[in-house]
Amino acid sequence: MINVLTENLDDFAAGLWVTTRLVAGSFVVALVLGTLVAALRVADTRTLRRLGTVYVEIFRNVPLLVLLFIAFPGVLRGGVEISPWTAGIIALGVYTSAYVAEVLRSGVAAVSAGQLEAGLSLGLTRLAVLRRIVLPQAFRTVIGPLGSITIAMVKNSAIVGASIVALPDILKEARIVNSNTFQTTEAFFWAAVCYLLITVTVTVVFRGLETRYAIRR
Amino acid sequence: MQHHTRHRWGAVLAALTLAVGASACGEDEEKAGGGTASTPPAESSAPAEKFPADTTMGKIQKKGEITIGVKYDVPPFGFKNTSTGEIEGFDIDFGKAVADALGVKPKYIEAISDNRIPFITEGTADLILSTMTINEERVMEINFTDPYFIAKGRILQKKGGDVGGVEDLAGKRVCTALGSTYEETLKKEAPKAELRLVDTYSECLELVQNGGVDAVSTDDVILTGMIIQDDSLELVKGEELTVEPYGGGLKKGDEAFTEFLNGVLDKYKSDGRWKAAYEKWLGQYTGEDAEPPTETLEDVVPKS
Repeated sequence: MINVLTENLDDFAAGLWVTTRLVAGSFVVALVLGTLVAALRVADTRTLRRLGTVYVEIFRNVPLLVLLFIAFPGVLRGGVEISPWTAGIIALGVYTSAYVAEVLRSGVAAVSAGQLEAGLSLGLTRLAVLRRIVLPQAFRTVIGPLGSITIAMVKNSAIVGASIVALPDILKEARIVNSNTFQTTEAFFWAAVCYLLITVTVTVVFRGLETRYAIRR
Repeated sequence: MQHHTRHRWGAVLAALTLAVGASACGEDEEKAGGGTASTPPAESSAPAEKFPADTTMGKIQKKGEITIGVKYDVPPFGFKNTSTGEIEGFDIDFGKAVADALGVKPKYIEAISDNRIPFITEGTADLILSTMTINEERVMEINFTDPYFIAKGRILQKKGGDVGGVEDLAGKRVCTALGSTYEETLKKEAPKAELRLVDTYSECLELVQNGGVDAVSTDDVILTGMIIQDDSLELVKGEELTVEPYGGGLKKGDEAFTEFLNGVLDKYKSDGRWKAAYEKWLGQYTGEDAEPPTETLEDVVPKS
């Protein structure tokens, strides 16, 4: 059991590093886009709210694997040079951002309307109220759900490697080890351990954030 | 016949490039008999020999069908004819010969490079005919028949590309299938190449066509299948990377079934069916003649 890990340690380490970079990049994309889209969804113009809804419904309802096939070969065929890294990070980030936007919207809804009115009557613009008063509280309300989304994203990253984007991530390296050693159970056991290393770290970080910043309602 | 096959290649191209116009090739009228019926000159269906119930052959006869793992996206060895929905190719013709010899129906399932051996070890398939190279590591896991085809490892690129040989692959993006022998060959022969390991060769074709990779490396016959579909691609000339003898794969230690399959293969090679299949799937495109391989398993992987 352990020898499959020790003899292929560099493969697993390389895969762990690729997955870590992939999810880190996607997390940033998801958070930035998710916040913007959440802002759209609570905007005071109907067109903007619609736009946000369309975004969320499209990316939440199309399978990630299909998105990846559009984001990589589709874009390449359109004549745009795109690296597997860019394609993978954008696809996974955009997909996850739809969930982030949904969760943030619920967080925004939890902030009482009185605060918005108070901010506006103090002469702040609606955007400023959102950015300085509402969103910070919304984030603090939804730390828990954001953690779950991040964990789901780490697991979804395996789809990126298995797709035509073919990044040499944890799962791909495990499959390479498997095809070289035929030690199927062992190879995938250690892949699971690698994923756990990331997801447990994410869990611990989010739990820390939660105890420190969460607003209990 | 030639005409129809051309149409079929058109259909394969359509499928692989995910185009929707595949129905344009609808005038294929030889659907009767399941698309693979045109295996000339087949012996008139003499009743198959009855095997004892405790042998693999007997068990297959009792089931009435043999499950064969083949490629679904590797013309001309195993691919889906989009106008009939049937699986066709060189591997499929040999699979049919095996089924005929047992007097059962062949049932084809898709076996990609990475899951071929698990299919055998877990019993999902009775036999694998999936452009599978016989090599020493695999012989430890499964039994092989004698080679039924000898392929050569080559490189494919877009016409006018600057790869002249394996030494030029350094720094280039090269696609091959995960779990294929080329994974290791390329790591050894072109350690500086950026490997892109995908599940199926149709993904490699997609990537080389639209510039996602610079080259594809695998067996010459698989690459020829890609060139037949897209003549903007070419094989890199020069010496072959490797020699890849294809064998049928079956459960480790099942010597009786191995012996039976080798018997079927010998007959298939000697009565003209092998050459007919070669001409049908390869010869007419490459313009080359070929003789059935004479090597045995022992020649390819000497027993230590």
